[in-house]
Amino acid sequence: MKKWFILLLSLMAALALFLVLSIFYDQTRSETVELDRPIQIVMKSIETEPMDFWEIVMRGMREAAKEYGLDYEISGPSHEKEIDLQIEMVNKIIEKRPPLLLLAASDYEKLVPSVERASELGIPVITFDSNVDSSIPISFIATDNIEAGKKAGDELKRLMKGSSRREIAIVSHIKEVSTGIDREAGVRESLQNEQVIGTWYIDVEQEKAYLATLELLKNGELGGIIALNEASALGVADAVAEVDGARDRVWVVGFDNAIQELEYLESGVIDALIVQRPYNMGYMTVKTAAEFLMGNPVAAELNTGSLLITKDNMFKREYQEILFPVRNIE
Amino acid sequence: MKKMLGFGTLGSRIYSTFTIMMFAAIFVMQLVAFRFTVNTVQNSTLETNRTMLGQLTTQIDSYIVGMERISNAVLEDDELQSYILGKKDALKSDSIAAVRTTLENYIQARDDISEIAIFPKDGPVIMSDQSLEVNPWIDFTKQPWYQDAMKAHDQTVVTSSYVQNLVKGQYSWVVSLSRGIVAEQGQNFLGVLLVDLKFNRIQELCQSMAIGEKGYNFILDSQGNYVFHPTQQLVYSDLKSEPVRKIMALLEDTEQAVYNDGERYFMVETSPHTGWHVVSVLPSEEIVTDWKNVQFSYAAIGLVLFLIVGLATNGVSQGITKPLRKLRDIMKSVDTGDFHLIGPIKATEEIQELARDYDIMVTRIRELMQDNVREQELKRKSDLKALQAQINPHFLYNTLDSIIWMGEMKQHKEVVQMTSALSKLFRISISKGRELIPVKDEIAHVQSYLTIEEMRYRDKFDYIVDVDPALYEVKTLKITLQPLVENAIYHGIKEVDGKGFIRITGEEKEGDVVFTVHDNGKGMSRQQLQELRNGMETPFDERSSYSNMGMGVRNVHARLQLYFGEEFGLTCDSEPDKGTTITIRFPVRRGEESV
Repeated sequence: MKKWFILLLSLMAALALFLVLSIFYDQTRSETVELDRPIQIVMKSIETEPMDFWEIVMRGMREAAKEYGLDYEISGPSHEKEIDLQIEMVNKIIEKRPPLLLLAASDYEKLVPSVERASELGIPVITFDSNVDSSIPISFIATDNIEAGKKAGDELKRLMKGSSRREIAIVSHIKEVSTGIDREAGVRESLQNEQVIGTWYIDVEQEKAYLATLELLKNGELGGIIALNEASALGVADAVAEVDGARDRVWVVGFDNAIQELEYLESGVIDALIVQRPYNMGYMTVKTAAEFLMGNPVAAELNTGSLLITKDNMFKREYQEILFPVRNIE
Repeated sequence: MKKMLGFGTLGSRIYSTFTIMMFAAIFVMQLVAFRFTVNTVQNSTLETNRTMLGQLTTQIDSYIVGMERISNAVLEDDELQSYILGKKDALKSDSIAAVRTTLENYIQARDDISEIAIFPKDGPVIMSDQSLEVNPWIDFTKQPWYQDAMKAHDQTVVTSSYVQNLVKGQYSWVVSLSRGIVAEQGQNFLGVLLVDLKFNRIQELCQSMAIGEKGYNFILDSQGNYVFHPTQQLVYSDLKSEPVRKIMALLEDTEQAVYNDGERYFMVETSPHTGWHVVSVLPSEEIVTDWKNVQFSYAAIGLVLFLIVGLATNGVSQGITKPLRKLRDIMKSVDTGDFHLIGPIKATEEIQELARDYDIMVTRIRELMQDNVREQELKRKSDLKALQAQINPHFLYNTLDSIIWMGEMKQHKEVVQMTSALSKLFRISISKGRELIPVKDEIAHVQSYLTIEEMRYRDKFDYIVDVDPALYEVKTLKITLQPLVENAIYHGIKEVDGKGFIRITGEEKEGDVVFTVHDNGKGMSRQQLQELRNGMETPFDERSSYSNMGMGVRNVHARLQLYFGEEFGLTCDSEPDKGTTITIRFPVRRGEESV
């Protein structure tokens, strides 16, 4: 008997066995990423008030990481304002050569060198919430703030349809921040045929918004106010609630979903809120990272969307969890 | 390849048949075992899951039942009863405080109760804490829990999970238990009791009872809306979807307990108290994490088994075919005329027996062959003797007559000459019984004969003997030339008038000794020549069927062929009236003598 004949038959058999067993083994393609080191996530802030925007972002991240079996480490400064600290943290992390960096940039310009350094070392970067002024990031996952601004403007237009007072004021949190700039641009685009009398910047201080609104309310032609973030919306609402009859005369559209804002929405002081989806943002960010690491194509920009919330739909089952996040039990 | 599989040799036939059969057997066995293992693993995992699901449903149920008991206890409270039934109208504010204290006690005893409140049909809402303010922006009588409780009389109604905005400035996730407060004696609707359960408790239960890393539970209410889902936001924004319709269909189908959408296994159980459908989700990959290992080990075992079987089969087929091949090789030597014995052989009994029988056979054949050779030898000898014996009885008495006649004529010299020639002739014919004699003796023999015949037929013929002296010591079969000469004289020369001539030559040609006997006598017609040639080719045993003619020639030819082989012997050439030439050809042999 020839040796090769044995070998050939044996190999044939082995092959057949493997093949047939593989047929039964079809559904178990694994969708997990195996890495020797965890990916790094740098947030704008990590020490958060309960149910803060960033905590919800992290929840979404946790869910996606669990789904894809991805290891990650989260870091970031305590407060969003600590830009230099964030830069320092990012630089340190980059030198550890993580397989991937997820970054919510606290400054559009100042983090560019760090991102460039990461690119030099071959570390892929994905940005979320706030981008950097660079084409290096593979993907940017955030709320489309221009679109959100347009939504706010459109809603105010709708609300003011029957109103005789036609003037509209914009109250913005800060002049230099990209969310403010984008939202205002969206609002102005939507309201280009309306009488927008100006933008009041309040430096993220509720009190300033309150005082500015008190002044604005003296204007008999004022029919609507758009407040571009939580602090401005609350300041505006405080003033509108205080001035007699103002809640009936002036329509207020705000941003974000602080509990107080929701109370104002329920009581009719604020008439509509534009709300982001931080959970989805976190989820999509990590999902994009996982897809990228698995070698799948990822979109360069991902809009996680925003919702228009009014008194009528605020207790709708599908919005409840976005507006009133369930306290976590861990 | 085709030839390999075409069962050329016994070995390959055994090997391939066994291998294919064993492969099929192992293969089928493996498939069955693999399927069986997978099914077992799957079933046991699903069974575990079902048990967990049952426990979860029971726990949720008993939790709700517990809450119902609390609501009963609250309703049966004396203070509440008297307040609701309006027995203590006069002391209203006091009785409100008393009821509130009761509610407060319950809340403090249970940290999973968010709020207990009483909504009398007419009268202020009583909550557990005086400082709490009812949300002014809602009409609680329009809330589903109030409406449902009103409709259900004193039955408990359980809502889905939702954000309770009853208290101003508070938004908490709850599941509400509500029931109508009905007067004992009639159907009078007096108000609604609301118990808000913190939703965390249910969330906790669902999450703690999830199986595996990626398994999870979620709850649908009786309409198929989500009561709880661990990733509700994803579900609502369509980043994730659950086959709710299929799951609900599962409830009606009693036979099918599990729905599999290809990636996940869904099982559902309905809690009888709440009407909620608790759904347990198990990703396929959780069930089959070990499939890869199972598959690999099965394949490895199969491979090893197959290799062992392959080698064993090879061994077996070798064991069978090796002795057979040895037998075949030995038997093949028969082709070349060698009969070898096989002798003792390492093999199975059957083959040993075969070898033994073969050996016996070969031994018998050898004996038979020896017998045959001996018999052939004997036959040849007797044939030769017989042939020699046929030589010229007439010649002897003719010669003796001639001697007598010469004696009477007193020709003493001639008598002496003829007698000595005759004596020589006979001496050489006998040659001490040897078959082969030197050529020179053969020449002396034929010369003696010629001497005698010349004296008898005075002046009838002349002769020449011209033989290469180099051949003198070469052995020749005795009495080969004399019959030819006799033939030439009696059938050639004697038949014609005038003096005849006989020439005898001898030389070596191409390793053979070639003698010719030529006469210029009558010769033979073509027909006679043909007859003679045919006679020479006819086997010796059948010679009697031919005429006397050329008998001496045929004898010599037959003897030469018997002795030297078929390719040697005589050739004749003759023409009428010209004479006959007969050529003798036989191989050169010197010195030795055989037979």
